[in-house]
Amino acid sequence: MTKRPTFFSLILSLPLLIWQLTFFLFPLLFLVAISFWTVRNFQMTPDLNFGNWERVLSRGVFWDAYLRTFILATAAAAITSAIAFPASYAISFKMSEKAKRWMIFILIIPFFTSYLVRVYSLQVFLSDAGIINAAFAYIGLGPFSMLNNAFGVIVGMVTLTLPLVILLQTFSLNFVNRDLIEAAHNLRCGRLRTVFAVIAPSAKVGLVIAALFSFILSFGDFVSPLYLGGGNPPTLSIMITDFTKSGQQWPRAAVVAIMMIATLLTTAFAAITYAYKERGK
Amino acid sequence: MKVDTQMEVQSEAIVRFDNVVKRFGSFVAVKKADFEIGRGEFLAIMGSSGCGKTTTLRMLAGLEDPSEGAIYLDGEKVNGKATWDRDTPMVWQSLALFPFLTVQENVEFALKMRGVGKEERRRRAEKWLEKMQITEFASRNINQLSGGQKQRVALARALVTEPKILLLDEPLSALDAHLKVRMQAVLSNLQKDLGITFVYVTHSMSEAFSMADRVVIMSRGQIEQIGTPEEIYREPYNRFVAEFLGSANIFDGTVAGPSGADGWRVTFDGGETVLPKAELPDASAGQAVTFIVSAENMQLSRPDAGQDGIAATIAGEEFIGGTAMLFLETDTGQELKVQKSHDELALLNRQAGAKLVVHWAAEHCHILPGENK
Repeated sequence: MTKRPTFFSLILSLPLLIWQLTFFLFPLLFLVAISFWTVRNFQMTPDLNFGNWERVLSRGVFWDAYLRTFILATAAAAITSAIAFPASYAISFKMSEKAKRWMIFILIIPFFTSYLVRVYSLQVFLSDAGIINAAFAYIGLGPFSMLNNAFGVIVGMVTLTLPLVILLQTFSLNFVNRDLIEAAHNLRCGRLRTVFAVIAPSAKVGLVIAALFSFILSFGDFVSPLYLGGGNPPTLSIMITDFTKSGQQWPRAAVVAIMMIATLLTTAFAAITYAYKERGK
Repeated sequence: MKVDTQMEVQSEAIVRFDNVVKRFGSFVAVKKADFEIGRGEFLAIMGSSGCGKTTTLRMLAGLEDPSEGAIYLDGEKVNGKATWDRDTPMVWQSLALFPFLTVQENVEFALKMRGVGKEERRRRAEKWLEKMQITEFASRNINQLSGGQKQRVALARALVTEPKILLLDEPLSALDAHLKVRMQAVLSNLQKDLGITFVYVTHSMSEAFSMADRVVIMSRGQIEQIGTPEEIYREPYNRFVAEFLGSANIFDGTVAGPSGADGWRVTFDGGETVLPKAELPDASAGQAVTFIVSAENMQLSRPDAGQDGIAATIAGEEFIGGTAMLFLETDTGQELKVQKSHDELALLNRQAGAKLVVHWAAEHCHILPGENK
């Protein structure tokens, strides 16, 4: 049976519809339009100029940045998911209801402070003369270069998305049918093996969506690549600001932005298709 | 090493509960369970929810550990042994099939965990799929199966390792009545074919009595009676069992004196009867005695027929297939149940409020041993 939207449900979804049209769809269409405009003497004029697309997509610098951003975001999503899972597992399976509530509260706290402020404080920790290297120096190691490189960027991205990923993973693990775990144990599947053979597949949708969120936030992140990665070589978000600052190249920035959105849409679609794919015919 | 005694234990029983107690905090879920399960036996553990039947099963499966006492499986004490080290597959009430695996992969699961090779795994799984008549669904997703098909997958998954014992926790409770009866036949035949031990937990008397060789009746953590369905039905041990079965009339009486050579005259609120000496060899006048008369052994007469018995008023009637259960109330307020065929009842005036005389033969009185110690 297919449900037809009722008049009442349309009224209820109207605010969302208006919001999405005003602040998402129209700007997006505008962005697409801009990508064909021409810039002359630092002035933009409406046009149907494919030159922007050609210039951006034919340059190796763009594809280097694209690949770099994609790899960084993928690595961040993978590392965050891997670090988050044991914690989510412990919260969902090993803690009392009361402890669970406290953990969820604690995981929300990082969102209280601005990401930018947290990244600045990370600089203090990661720099060559920073707190971590000072500690290493104390035991005769280092200094390790942790700032202005990929390591710094990953640290920032993981810090940004870890609490969210743990929350999403925890919620999905909470919905894993406990009978399935006991059934696995009963069929000779030991504790650790059950995690991979039963718990992870049961919570697949939530785990994939958590990783997807980490990827999306990391892929579009501007703060970590700039302040912890040094901004050079650039990621796509840095490339966008570079284009706008140098010669008012808003159309080329739009091209990069559209490429990013297309990538996110494709990745999200692929991830969700994979998450909901069922075994068997 | 005393090999002989161990051999003896093994041949006697596959499972032994030795004064097993299970507590959850201050709540006692199972009180002193002390019984054996024979090799190849179909044992049903029956009781209402919260009686400790599932906890008993879970202790046997290794999903709970006893607080006191010992459980022996195949002669070996298994307290503290994890469920994955035991060979006690279980069929869950929720079936607990893995939705992320196909039917075939579900059945192969236990073999895979034991490191059985791919070819061998497939061969053995296919054999069980065929046995359970679900071969055509092998590559399907679990969510596409009907209730009865899922049931068969759950059985195949548990039996694929060919265990000596199978544990079943209310596996049929989610099925509709028609399918339930069919699955009962499947289970019964399967158990006879395989010759392995089935331990079957249920709250349904019809399931337990139609399939099991012996039934354990539990209430509030206590085992009230263990016996064959016939024994339990004919001779319930105490008031709880008699009430649980639902078809017995229970009387609290007093021995008034001997009645002839082989009986006791017993008076009770609203009447008197004769209790055979075979039921109660020793008694003295004034001794309290609790006895039952089964509903199908009660007779009914019209008040004008001149039959001695208890006068009672019809309160209601319940249709039970080929028979009907007539509910009557005596002048002293006791409710009586009488089960008769429709033909017999047709001869009587059975409008609500009509008066009848209820009587029974002495040989149908049985004492409740648990109430007359």
